[in-house]
Amino acid sequence: MDYLYYPQALSDLIISFSRLPGVGPKTAGRLAFYLLQHSDDAEQLARTITTALREIRQCTVCGNYTEADPCKICAGERRDRTVLCIVEQPRDVVALEKTREFKGIYHVLHGVLSPMEGIGPEQLNLANLLKRLDNVKEVIIAVNPSVEGEATALYIARILKPLGTKVTRIAHGLPVGGDLEYADEVTITRALEGRRQL
Amino acid sequence: MAVYKADAIVIRSREYGEADKLLTLFSRERGKLEAVAKGVRKPKSTQRGGTQLFTYADFLLYKGKSLDTVNQVHPRESFIHLWDDFDRTIAASGIAELLDISTTRDQPEPELFTLTLGFLFLLKYVDPYIAQASYALRLLNIHGYLPGLNNCVECGATVSGTQAFLSAEAGGLLCSSCKNNETVTMLNGGGLALMRRLKSVEIDKLDRFRWNKKMRLEILGSLCYFCENKFERKLKAWRSGSELIV
Ligand SMILES: [Zn+2]
Ligand SMILES: [Zn+2]
Repeated sequence: MDYLYYPQALSDLIISFSRLPGVGPKTAGRLAFYLLQHSDDAEQLARTITTALREIRQCTVCGNYTEADPCKICAGERRDRTVLCIVEQPRDVVALEKTREFKGIYHVLHGVLSPMEGIGPEQLNLANLLKRLDNVKEVIIAVNPSVEGEATALYIARILKPLGTKVTRIAHGLPVGGDLEYADEVTITRALEGRRQL
Repeated sequence: MAVYKADAIVIRSREYGEADKLLTLFSRERGKLEAVAKGVRKPKSTQRGGTQLFTYADFLLYKGKSLDTVNQVHPRESFIHLWDDFDRTIAASGIAELLDISTTRDQPEPELFTLTLGFLFLLKYVDPYIAQASYALRLLNIHGYLPGLNNCVECGATVSGTQAFLSAEAGGLLCSSCKNNETVTMLNGGGLALMRRLKSVEIDKLDRFRWNKKMRLEILGSLCYFCENKFERKLKAWRSGSELIV
């Protein structure tokens, strides 16, 4: 590897970059050299990372990333606390908030069950969920549609059902702009299941 | 660029880069392969369906320098029954994981391919964990590791169910006098009899088998330990699965 020829601190920097998702060794090298040549940007970046790590934490109620604990949504007076929406990642909260359609509260799992990767219920933010259900009338499971997402949804439904909570799963189907012709069997089946009367 | 076809099952799927997935495929012609499916985490990708975990599809792959890439994929079977049932997903994960740890890349294993495809279909009709156990015994058989389940593999003594000890080192059952200090798992009478049946019964009769939780944990636990020992890798899905089974 090239970075063996670089000074230690530089090769450490390249290695750190190459650990980031979507960054290969070449891009890692390019980023490292850029930062060495633009020390203002580099210092700014270093400060921003330190600040983010110091200021951002997981909301102890819902698991979303936040500066204040509990987060704005959990503390919000106008939120409907009878409807709770379970999502995989903090970025899914953003996606749902942008629609302005959902007025309830969230719960962020930080992943889905993935038996082959060794991700079980203990690795997910599930224990907190059970403590939040007192006033909840409906739990909407909005994890992504994959085999493992479905398994997670079914697992959550299995543990919540005995508590008498209504559990629903968001409908999946064809993406807007998607072509029926190119859709796969699972998508079409799901789209048919989620059909509505016109 | 070199392009090749593969008639394959997706046995592992991991997020890769911004919107890609790194797939482990098990193909009929070439055995285990790895390939990147580009952009398949975007909603509009037309390759989404074919690259989902456990999907059986016709792949067209580009041979890359380090990693191959999916050029085209036409799903043949999505196994929707796996998506609708938690236990089937866990058992299918166990099957895929065992196939993965017991094989090396680019080594054709047509018998294992047929076995796996058959069992993914079978999960619709059979107790999923019965299927998982029976699959494991048949996979061990193909690899030449089928545990001796009749007599003690050391001394040949008849092994009765109350004192049956399965040893991966010895490659099968040991009687109480031969087990000495070896690491073994214990099988009771019913568990041993069922295991003998699961390894050899025709697969279209597997839907007749039932077991209770105790027997299931005993048999899956024994097989997990046996396979981990033979293939020298941990079976994460088998272990986490046994905690999830209600
Ligand atoms: Zn919160
Ligand atoms: Zn003996």
